[in-house]
Amino acid sequence: MKCVIIGAGIAGVTAAETIKKINQDIDVVLIGKEQYLPYNRYRLTDYLCNVIDDTQLYFTSFDFFKKNNIKYRNGEYIKSINPAEKTIKYYHNEVMGYDKLLIATGGSQHLGPILKPFSQYIQSYYTLQDILLLKKFLPDIKHCVVYGENLSNLDLLAGLCNLDKKITYIIKGEKARFPLLKEEFEQDVHYFLKNKGIQCITNDKLVNIKKEKKKFTVETLNQKIIKTDIVFAWDDSKPNISLLEGTAIHKKTGILVNQYMETSEQDIFAAGDCAEIYHPILKNYWINFGWPNAREQGEIAGKNIAGEKALYQIHETLTFHLEGKPIKARWWE
Amino acid sequence: MNYKELTVRFCGIAGDGIVSSSRIISGACADAGLHVMVNDIYSAEIRGLGKSTSTIRFSGSKVYSMGDGINALVGLAQQESIDEIEDIREGGSVIYDSSSPADIPETESLASHIPPEVNGYGIPLKTLANQASGSNRGRNIVSMGALCHLYGLPKTIFINQIEKIFKRKGDKVVESNLTAFELGYEYCQNQYPLNNLFVMDKKAKPLQIISGNEAVAHGAMDCGLKFFAGYPITPATKIMEITAKELPKLNGWTIQVEDEIAAIGAVLGASFTGTRAMTATAGPGLSLMSELINLSVMAEISAVIVNVQRGGPATGLPTKVEQGDLNISLYGGAGDSPRVVMAPTCSKDCYTSIQAAFDLAEKYQTPVIFLSDLFLGQRLETDDIKRNINYKKSTRIKPTRQQLKNYQRYALTEDGVSPLIVPGEDGAFYSITGLAHNTAGNPNFESEVHLTMTQKRFRKFKSMVKDLPPVEIIGDADADIGIACWGSTYGAIFEGMQIARHNGVKTKMIKSIMIYPQDEESFKTFFASCKKIIVFEMNFQGQYAALLKSTYNIKPVEVHIPSVDPVSPAKIAAKIMEVNHELTQ
Ligand SMILES: Cc1cc2nc3c(=O)[nH]c(=O)nc-3n(C[C@H](O)[C@H](O)[C@H](O)COP(=O)(O)OP(=O)(O)OC[C@H]3O[C@@H](n4cnc5c(N)ncnc54)[C@H](O)[C@@H]3O)c2cc1C
Repeated sequence: MKCVIIGAGIAGVTAAETIKKINQDIDVVLIGKEQYLPYNRYRLTDYLCNVIDDTQLYFTSFDFFKKNNIKYRNGEYIKSINPAEKTIKYYHNEVMGYDKLLIATGGSQHLGPILKPFSQYIQSYYTLQDILLLKKFLPDIKHCVVYGENLSNLDLLAGLCNLDKKITYIIKGEKARFPLLKEEFEQDVHYFLKNKGIQCITNDKLVNIKKEKKKFTVETLNQKIIKTDIVFAWDDSKPNISLLEGTAIHKKTGILVNQYMETSEQDIFAAGDCAEIYHPILKNYWINFGWPNAREQGEIAGKNIAGEKALYQIHETLTFHLEGKPIKARWWE
Repeated sequence: MNYKELTVRFCGIAGDGIVSSSRIISGACADAGLHVMVNDIYSAEIRGLGKSTSTIRFSGSKVYSMGDGINALVGLAQQESIDEIEDIREGGSVIYDSSSPADIPETESLASHIPPEVNGYGIPLKTLANQASGSNRGRNIVSMGALCHLYGLPKTIFINQIEKIFKRKGDKVVESNLTAFELGYEYCQNQYPLNNLFVMDKKAKPLQIISGNEAVAHGAMDCGLKFFAGYPITPATKIMEITAKELPKLNGWTIQVEDEIAAIGAVLGASFTGTRAMTATAGPGLSLMSELINLSVMAEISAVIVNVQRGGPATGLPTKVEQGDLNISLYGGAGDSPRVVMAPTCSKDCYTSIQAAFDLAEKYQTPVIFLSDLFLGQRLETDDIKRNINYKKSTRIKPTRQQLKNYQRYALTEDGVSPLIVPGEDGAFYSITGLAHNTAGNPNFESEVHLTMTQKRFRKFKSMVKDLPPVEIIGDADADIGIACWGSTYGAIFEGMQIARHNGVKTKMIKSIMIYPQDEESFKTFFASCKKIIVFEMNFQGQYAALLKSTYNIKPVEVHIPSVDPVSPAKIAAKIMEVNHELTQ
């Protein structure tokens, strides 16, 4: 049997490893768009700030793939799926067959219609490539503008503070609101921003960016003009599901799966940040976002692909406990 | 990552512009003062769209071989390039076309064979080439732009070279190639903003780039070659192509004859009239020439015979290198038939030692077999060759007035060299023949005369020693391991010695362009100073080792490198380490 996994994040890698643990005879091909070995995405900021080095960043090695006999195809993008033929198509038009397919393409930062026209001026903050580029530029950067209320923004703000950058943070409301976090935590965030001397522009929105030589001029809805060296901005995170186009696989924001991580199409599974799981209590679909959840979903999907029956239990609240530490401890405690 | 040296390979089929790509890159690098070596490999099949590769190694410091492995592969033909992947070093890269309009099955896709330790860069080469020129033809130039960005090479050196190379085809062609280059560069800059950096000395002076065959042709013409006769054969044809173009400008002649027997016949005829003459061939041609080379020995007519060796026997491996023609060169004649055999190690040697070959041939009235090979003949390399125009160190020794009174064409002399005049010159009349003859040149079959004349012919080879290009001792004088090798394998062996030294094992080498005769005293002294001797050569029998064993009574470790595309310095080093291990046990 040949199992193809699209997406070499934590969900995809865990699934590949799980499948091989259960049955060595299953051929596993793991395909990832990024050029690098799979890495701890949630530690990118630590890597940026030199808190960790390469060895702590990567959670696999070339040896890991050799030993587990997993074919890892890095730097390759899958553009479409053909469930009827049971094939996938690469960006370069290579066509590959599968018996079982796992989609673990994660999510990415998304720009809404207002920011989209300025995408070339916006520095994204999601991949190792982003961080490596930043490592190159950041020494010359003094002032940063940050916009967006995502967990990765919070991570970024903490990182930039660590690196002693001057920060202007544009917030839509009175206080920064981070989805999925409890209100009490939001209060903590608010104090953190204040204590660190981050300049917060509240009740406003980023509407325009201009580039003049190497500097940027940012304009807000309330006509505030800020000159800056770099702009980090996004509206929200969205699952990477464009490869589903033209298929009948059920989707909403993400790929809809049941608790076995099965999609509506036979032999196609999905796991991690790209999947929306049916919440039996809420009786609705739910992206159970975050690193630990993606890992667990990858494991469940792997087990089911390899022929076991495993059920994913949705996590009611997001604790974001990683390596035994609550999220606050990682950032500012 | 920072690089000071890179090896890049283009792989494709006819029409993909493999050779022109490598000429642009190597020219650009040489102009920027980088040291370059280029090796092209073609499939043996003459018809059809055979696969070809061109590999360019460039560095801030001198390169002696093609090294081990490659940093980057440009796969212009997907399927054909798959086999090349195994040569890519960890962290290396593959550029492939991501704009194939048709579906590619997994097994035929280059990308599907790229291991994770190697970076794959899918670039829409076809699409960008079309954007630049309206055809697929500029895919090689697009990929050059991509390479330039990925390895942080200075753009201007490529732009200048593209302008230089395409200038004669008109502004439009220059422009579309420059656009193709820019598009490849920009695409990579946007998609792969993180790049490597090639560190280079901006003040380095431009270097000359030349192939072994070109160096042979120009060396010969610069030292008075006036007549070339030949029959085309891979990998020697280039020499005739050059002389055909250049000799008429020097009041000389090139004739293409019906076969190699005619070629050597014409050369002997020309030489008989006092003209510096040469032919160039490969193993099969040399086999055909044997009888007339014997005539050259017997009649004592100077001739320079270049043999650009390829794999044999018979038609053998027309597009692969081998050092298998040493025995035929040394011994391939009936009777006791001594001839000079020389083997250059690099382009610079090709230039200088073809001139030395003429010196020896002219002065000692002997055939000289000049053993180049496919790798040396065809590879391009940068070198600081100082041209020696109108170079003539030695000429034929003319008889004195006194000697002319009773002219003896084969007069017995101390050094074995008889004064010589050309037919038609005043005061002499003599016959020349392949039959055994006496000093006057008249046929004679008496055993005593035959012995005397044979001794005379061999005596020349003893006298010649003082005129031979000197041997060089390379490496650590106090090393216990001594190395002997010959011809084009020298560069890889030299780099192998350096790798071994890096790993704590010292070696020294005796480098001699002369295979026969040799400066035997120097060889004896060298071998006496070694605890272990290794002889490296690229043939099955150990032809050079056999010569050394019988001449110097040594017992070397013989390494018979199979006929391969460039020799691997790492493998040479591994062998040295192995011998050292045995020695120190
Ligand atoms: C800065 C930052 C800080 C974070 N901090 C935390 C934290 O503290 N705690 C926490 O729980 N989570 C955190 N996260 C989120 C966490 O990293 C993600 O939830 C987790 O990585 C999701 O794993 P995944 O495997 O589903 O997807 P991903 O990690 O996104 O991996 C998916 C992979 O698939 C590839 N891919 C996408 N589409 C294709 C395609 N078509 N073809 C081929 N490959 C494709 C992507 O390039 C990517 O490499 C953070 C994220 C960021 C960016």
